[in-house]
Amino acid sequence: MTSLSLSLSPPALVQLHDALICLSKFSETVSIEAEPDLLRLSALNSTKTGFASFAFEKEVYFQSYSFEAGGDGRGVSMDRFFCQIYIKASVALLSIFRGRIDRNKDTAVERCDMELHEDLQQTECRLTVKMICGLGVIKSYKLTYEPAAVQHAVFDKSKATSMWAADPRFLKQVVEHFSPSAEQLDMYSDSGKAVFTSFTTKITEGKEVLKHPVHTSVAADKRDFQEYWVEENMHVAINLKDFKAVVAHAETANATVTARYTRPCKPLQLAYSFEGITAEFTVMTRGQADGEDVPTSSRATIPRQTPAPVATSVARPRPSATVSMEMLPPPPPRSRSIRPLNGSSTQENLSQRASTNQPLASGLSMEFDALFVPADDDREWDEMNEEEEPQDILGWDASGTQDAFGASIRDAEPTLARQDASRSDEQDDEMGLPPTQRLSQVRRYGLFD
Amino acid sequence: MRFRTQLKDSRTFSKLTASLSSLGKVCWMRLEYEVVRFTIIPDQGTQVWASIPVSTIFDETTYELESNSDAINIEVNISVLNRALRSSWGSTHTQLRLTKKDRTPLLALTVLSSEWTDGNMALATNNDQNGVNNRPNSATGDTTGERGPRERQTCITQEVPIKILHEAAVEGLHEPHCPDPEVHIILPNLAQLKSISDRFTKLASTDTKSRQPGVMALDAPGMHSASFNGSGASTAATTLSTNTSPKLELSANMHGSLRLAIATDELRIASVWSDLVNPPLDPEQMSQEQISQLPSEQNRMREAREGDESGWAKVRIDGKDWSRVLSIGRLSPKVVACFINEMALVLYVYLPSTQDGAESCLTYYINSFTT
Repeated sequence: MTSLSLSLSPPALVQLHDALICLSKFSETVSIEAEPDLLRLSALNSTKTGFASFAFEKEVYFQSYSFEAGGDGRGVSMDRFFCQIYIKASVALLSIFRGRIDRNKDTAVERCDMELHEDLQQTECRLTVKMICGLGVIKSYKLTYEPAAVQHAVFDKSKATSMWAADPRFLKQVVEHFSPSAEQLDMYSDSGKAVFTSFTTKITEGKEVLKHPVHTSVAADKRDFQEYWVEENMHVAINLKDFKAVVAHAETANATVTARYTRPCKPLQLAYSFEGITAEFTVMTRGQADGEDVPTSSRATIPRQTPAPVATSVARPRPSATVSMEMLPPPPPRSRSIRPLNGSSTQENLSQRASTNQPLASGLSMEFDALFVPADDDREWDEMNEEEEPQDILGWDASGTQDAFGASIRDAEPTLARQDASRSDEQDDEMGLPPTQRLSQVRRYGLFD
Repeated sequence: MRFRTQLKDSRTFSKLTASLSSLGKVCWMRLEYEVVRFTIIPDQGTQVWASIPVSTIFDETTYELESNSDAINIEVNISVLNRALRSSWGSTHTQLRLTKKDRTPLLALTVLSSEWTDGNMALATNNDQNGVNNRPNSATGDTTGERGPRERQTCITQEVPIKILHEAAVEGLHEPHCPDPEVHIILPNLAQLKSISDRFTKLASTDTKSRQPGVMALDAPGMHSASFNGSGASTAATTLSTNTSPKLELSANMHGSLRLAIATDELRIASVWSDLVNPPLDPEQMSQEQISQLPSEQNRMREAREGDESGWAKVRIDGKDWSRVLSIGRLSPKVVACFINEMALVLYVYLPSTQDGAESCLTYYINSFTT
């Protein structure tokens, strides 16, 4: 039997409410994930282009927290528990109490207890919420949940080549200039300025000129950011609504927002943490489909070391198995031709690896990626690109275990912690190293044959 | 065709567009050398013709206008323009110009906004509490370095799509012709007038709702008056929408009195203002004799008697439309209302004049409904 019980102080209740409000902008249901030392709430939007997650730390956030995992009855021992709840019900519940927390009323909420017992013998799935109020009043609610597999967006921070960090109030000021009907937000860096542009992809009829959307762009000084490491002139666009949702919440939390990304049509992550809560938003970006053909990257000047006449001369087939997200434009044409020799075998390797989830293998390949293919679009590195395919799309780790990409994530953390000491050096690392070894030299070790 | 100017008073411009946009979306904007005209002619409701001297909203020294017809006529969604102008609040430099992008003509608003910022927004709250935040505060020597208080400059561009109208397309548009008014009077404080008007409109609409067939039908007739005691009446009534929104009766005389009233089957409420000003007419525009022949001046001569309805001019206007018209109050203008009995109400709205005495005037034409 799995059981979860936790207690929240009134301020924590407010934070929970704020987090749920933010999550409700992504999806109608919130996934709850309990682990021994943290509780995670997440939401994935219907087009699977945006994933929001809040992790609440056991020690800092909760007054008390206990989670006991039980087997799932199928011989698998579970160290975590998943379920999902209709978000509006919980928001409505918390809204009632939010207003009563700060007031010095006798019946103000003093504590909130939540309890959940999952027993396979019982069919009822209920999350019990108890509001302990003044004067001995206890209000109990039962929310229905349903068991669900939780999907996580995969984002590898260590591979991000662009990042910025900014004050949420500053970002809010930027966002406020955009028209409410604007849909997309394009960001790029242009000669010392960070430019945010809103646009709408909706096709308007030529005659109705006045209904065309307003095009707004805001150019801010890079110094307005706490940090700004962004590739010059690289346009990355995300859904403006998602961005607004993040900024609005970050502002209430007063937490610096950090954005990390690589290229258009690859995921971007906005993250911040405060008071025992870590918020991460992984959203899909869009950009010019021909972006990769334009040598905007400084790394594009790196001499191509592996001659690959096949790749450049053969007509480039667009990947037919496109990104599984309807919202996205077709992915940029890549020069990844299907090679007669090893194309199919790599594909096999890939699927095999994905299914077995070998932490060692994936961790190794990741590290290898980081070392040898910092320019993740360099089309000469064909095999690597094949390897990279899962990274191009916003992948979902539905296994529920952290092993799949855990290795690389864990690798990243100590690196960041060390930044105090040698900031600039680390930055270089993060931005990626130039290739130090020819792929052909590596190939003989059997990994990519 | 060329138009480019710096904005002098973006607040006024923004408030003006906000008030205009309540009446209709599509606005005909006519840029001339001396004045800028805004005209909104909605399918239904009040039309407004505004003539604003260039110097009121634009910086005359930078005002550039080139056109074969000595004017540029454009059609713009005024609420969109208003939204864009919001970016210019508190900015030092705002430029508005006519431009083109992908064959679409645009009004481009470029705002250089600067504000004082204290430091590089280092947030003390989050970094020290937990190790999850992986950006050290002490990072120095990076390109984004400067941490002290400084001026922050942000450049914002807003591109508002517009339509260029040819002179021929606007030739046929003229301000409506009205008979001479019976009464002209300076309206009291618009905020007060608006709040009372809105209150009356609400009361009248509550009444219309509560009289929906089938809702209150079982009630005794006497019950109806009770329903006005509180807002509870509206909860008892269904929200069936009626196409006829409540009408307000506005009347005035030439002896400084203005009356605002609603009349339904069950109730009659009126607010009366007295000691308002009936401004004299400009003697430069017509001779003294001509003036004395006007119905309004004859009404002025008439002796005022308590309870006498003669000498009053009355119009019936749509409550919601009136509320939208009164939104011009945010510019704290002086408003002269001209009553043409049972026909129309014409408002001359004068904005507080600028130093050089140039006068901005908006003219609202409001039709009177018949009973």
